[in-house]
Parts: sequence; C-alpha cells; structure tokens
Amino acid sequence: MSLLQEVWQAVKAIGTGMATVHKRVYEDAPTEFYPYVKPDLPPVSVQSLALVENEDGSERCIVCLQCERACPAQVITIERHRNPEGKGFLIDRFDIDLVNCMYCAACVEACPVSSIVTIQDFEMSTYDLQTLKADIDFLHEQARRARQWYSPKFGVELRTEDGRIEKAPPEMQPGGLAELLKPAEEVDS
Amino acid sequence: MSTMSLEPVRGRTDEMIVNMGPQHPATHGVLRVVLGLEGERITRAVPHIGYLHRNHEKIEEARSYPQVIAYTDRMDYVSGTQNELPFVLAVEDMLGIEVPDRAKKIRTMFFELYRLASHLVWMGTAMLDLGAISPFLYTFWDREIILGIVEKTAGARMLPNYYTFGGVRRDVHPDFFKDTADFLDHMERRMVDYEHLVLESPVVHARTIGVGVLSKERAIARGVSGPVLRASGVAYDVRKAFPYDAYPDVEFEIPTSPDGDTYARFWVRFQEMYQSIRILRQLVELTPKTGPHKGKAPARIKPPAGERYRAVENSRGELGVLVVSDGTDKPYRVKHRGAAFSNLQIVPDLFVGAKFSDSIAILSSLDPVFGEIDR
Repeated sequence: MSLLQEVWQAVKAIGTGMATVHKRVYEDAPTEFYPYVKPDLPPVSVQSLALVENEDGSERCIVCLQCERACPAQVITIERHRNPEGKGFLIDRFDIDLVNCMYCAACVEACPVSSIVTIQDFEMSTYDLQTLKADIDFLHEQARRARQWYSPKFGVELRTEDGRIEKAPPEMQPGGLAELLKPAEEVDS
Repeated sequence: MSTMSLEPVRGRTDEMIVNMGPQHPATHGVLRVVLGLEGERITRAVPHIGYLHRNHEKIEEARSYPQVIAYTDRMDYVSGTQNELPFVLAVEDMLGIEVPDRAKKIRTMFFELYRLASHLVWMGTAMLDLGAISPFLYTFWDREIILGIVEKTAGARMLPNYYTFGGVRRDVHPDFFKDTADFLDHMERRMVDYEHLVLESPVVHARTIGVGVLSKERAIARGVSGPVLRASGVAYDVRKAFPYDAYPDVEFEIPTSPDGDTYARFWVRFQEMYQSIRILRQLVELTPKTGPHKGKAPARIKPPAGERYRAVENSRGELGVLVVSDGTDKPYRVKHRGAAFSNLQIVPDLFVGAKFSDSIAILSSLDPVFGEIDR
C-alpha cells in the first residue's frame, strides 16, 4: 500500500469517527442528573423491602414463615408466639439483613397476604452497615414512607395523602394483572 | 514454589517475568496472567483464576430448587437470565413439566435481548482495550435501553430472577412488545455506526487481523465453544444442534469465519447481533399478546432421583448444567459447565508467540466474565 493510500485511509477513518460522534452530540443524553432528577422507576422495580401495616395500624403479616423458607440468601429471621386470645400468631421478632439480601424478591412472591412488598427507595447508602440490619420498626417505617409498592398478589398499591391504602388504577398495574383488571368488553374488542 | 507459577530459567537473563493482573484494567475482571517476556514477545504464559470464587456449586447443594435459580443469575452477571435457563430446563425435564408455547417465546425473547446486551458490553470493553473510548459510551447507552425493557417486566436490571419452572415468574409488561420493536429499529440504525467505528476501522484492522490465530483442530481439542469456536470455522451452535424453547420456530443462521484470528472473533460477534435482531423481530410478531405465561408446576419441587444435563447457547458459548437429584427438595449436586471458563483454556496457546500489546486484544476477543469463570 502506498503512502498516499495509507494517509487517505487514516483521514477517512478519522472522518467517519468524527461524523458518528457529531451525530450523537445532538441526541438526548441517556443519563440523568441524579441528585436533582430522581429516576422514574417502574413499579415492579425491586430496590428495597418493606413490611406493610393495615390502615388502622394493625399488622398485615400473619407470621406464616413462608418468606423465611423461600429466602435463598437466608437473611430473614422470624420469631413468633401463639396469640393467647383468638387464633393465629404474634410477631416477637422480624429481621431482614438487608446487607446480605440479594433483592431477588422471592419473599414477596411467597407472601400470601402481600405484607412484605418491594418499594422503589434505592437510597440506602450508609457509613455503617449495621444500620441496614433491619428490624420490624425499620421495615414498618420504610412502608410508611413509601408512596407506592408492589406485590404479585395485590399488584401496585398506593398510599393516598390522608394515609389510606388503595389499589392503583389498571393502567399502572404491570404484566398480566392489567389484563385481568380490564373491563370485559375491552378485552373482547 | 508451586508448579502454577513461572520460575526463571537458570542462565537465561533475557527473559523477564511480568505479572499481569489481577487488578489490571484490561483483564475484564480479576484474571492474573504470569507472563515470560523476551523483549516484546511472550514466551510463556500461565493464567491464574479464582479471585472471585464464591462457592456457587456447594451453596446450591444446600438450597431448595426454586432458591437455586436466584444463585445461577450471579454467575455470568452480564447476561442475566441466560444463566437461569439450563437449570430450569433440566429440572423441568426431570419433573416432566409442560411449558406453554407463549412462555417459551417470552423466555427466548429475554434470552436474545440479553445476548444483545452482553455483546454490546463486549464491544465497548474490547474497543476500550484497543484504545477507543467513545464506542464504550455508545454501547452502554444502547444497553441501558435493553435493561430498561427488562426492568419494566422483571423488576431488576442485571439479575432479574425471572425464569421459573414451567415458564416465567410474571407476565410481561403491556408495553413489552412495543418497546422491543422500537428498540430493534433503534438498534438497526446503531449497528451501521458500530460497523463504521469497529469493523471498518483501519486501527482495528491493524490490531486484530492475523493476531492470535486459533486453528480449527486446536479449538476443538481445547473444548472452546460459542463465537470463539465459530470464528475458527466450526458451525456448532447449541441453538441448532440441540434446540430448546422457541428456537425451532424461528429462522436464523450460524455465522462462521474460517480465519480464526481476533478479527474473525470480532466479526462473528457482530453477525450474531444481526441474527439476534432477526430472531427478536420474528418473535415480536409470533408471540401471542395474551395467554398463559406459566405452566402447571408442583408447589414443592421434588424431582425423582436421577440426573440430567441440559445446555444452552449463551453469549459466550455452551452453558451447561448437570443436576443430580436424590429425590429430596434440594439438589444432590449442581455442576455448571461455564462457557467463558472453557474458552479461557486457550489463553496460553494464543499468548505464546504474540506481542505483549496483542495479548490484550486477544483476551478481549475471548470475552471472559469472571463471575462465571470463578463461580
């Protein structure tokens, strides 16, 4: 290959490269200015876990230990005792070690009453790992702070301004649930 | 001294022993290679692995079958759900679970989306190793879109834990098919740019053509698979040889190249991306928009005593799993056959005789992922 050809090849390669870069300059950036702009996460996104209480403050969890059995990382520890008046069990201890949790949401799949849910709060960085060894108060507080959460049984639920819990409208529900909740005539058409 | 490390030869003063890695930025993780150098030429190479060992196979013996799926995700963290499939297929075979047709197609769509994501990461990092920075930024831009599509349905981006026995965990998001079709349009435009930046670049030609030639016989003898094997001229693909899920329903080709050099491995991965786009286009049309996403599976997974090997073609080659059951709810043994692990065996072959700077290009053309190699 002659020197002229080599020079021409180099110029052409630089030209194509610069043309591509130039094209991208005017496209919308895929990045977000994070601390100022919060990302819009889909409702199923698994960022953290929370333990939801009923509207009247009573416990939704029935202490069936399904989540403890389903957990692959074995980070859930539950202790319970039989309810002296009435039936069922009462919680003595409900700990999730969020440091070793791998956020697979197997516990959320297993929960029969949608008590343990996934929330979109991902800002959990801390200087001390011990603060992420969550006990029941921590998990309740996570749920009180959350505006919406997801569980496969109940779908997306919202917390309204006055503290009530209601089911999100069908267009917010992901996956097959949206199909289920649609009015019958819409599915037929 | 252990037999694994390189010892200086008595009386040879012209050979220098250099330790590359485990913290070297071009080793794609924590590979350590001890190199004997004679000037610029590599005379000996001994790779060391195991810096990311997490004892996957032993942990999986102590977990029930549904729990193991979450662990398989963590092997090849670049290609997400692809790792779950061989284990799920093996257990489905042992239990005789029927998978609905729609679930098979959804699984295949996720499989191919992750192949595109994985090849995009490879392209970016391989070009980074050759000294080009902007392709890395562009490929991660496109990968972000794929991960967004996956997150909308599965809830996580890299480790979604989405496949389950009998289908997938939850139905796809209503926008899934539209998002995928939009992404494929976008990706086809981008592929033209990548061809210009990578395959047609004279710098890439100079760095890769004729570098690290792997002959057909050597490739078969060393047991490599995937794009590395196909770049040496062997048309072996698990998707065609032992079809699984929805691959019998779609048309695609197996790109092969007779050259076996680093450029051939780049070229084959590029053609695979085109084939992935082609498969996804067909599946967007073929997959029913509504229907069952999960077949009937027993509540307690207890396969009968016996063993089963299933393999899939993931982004790096044949990813297999041997599941041995003793009839309880925990596997007796889970053995993973890692594609990247087997492909790494040719590193001493390819490195010896190459120049030191070429070793970086050769290593990036093998596309190792150390989560899977060290397991």
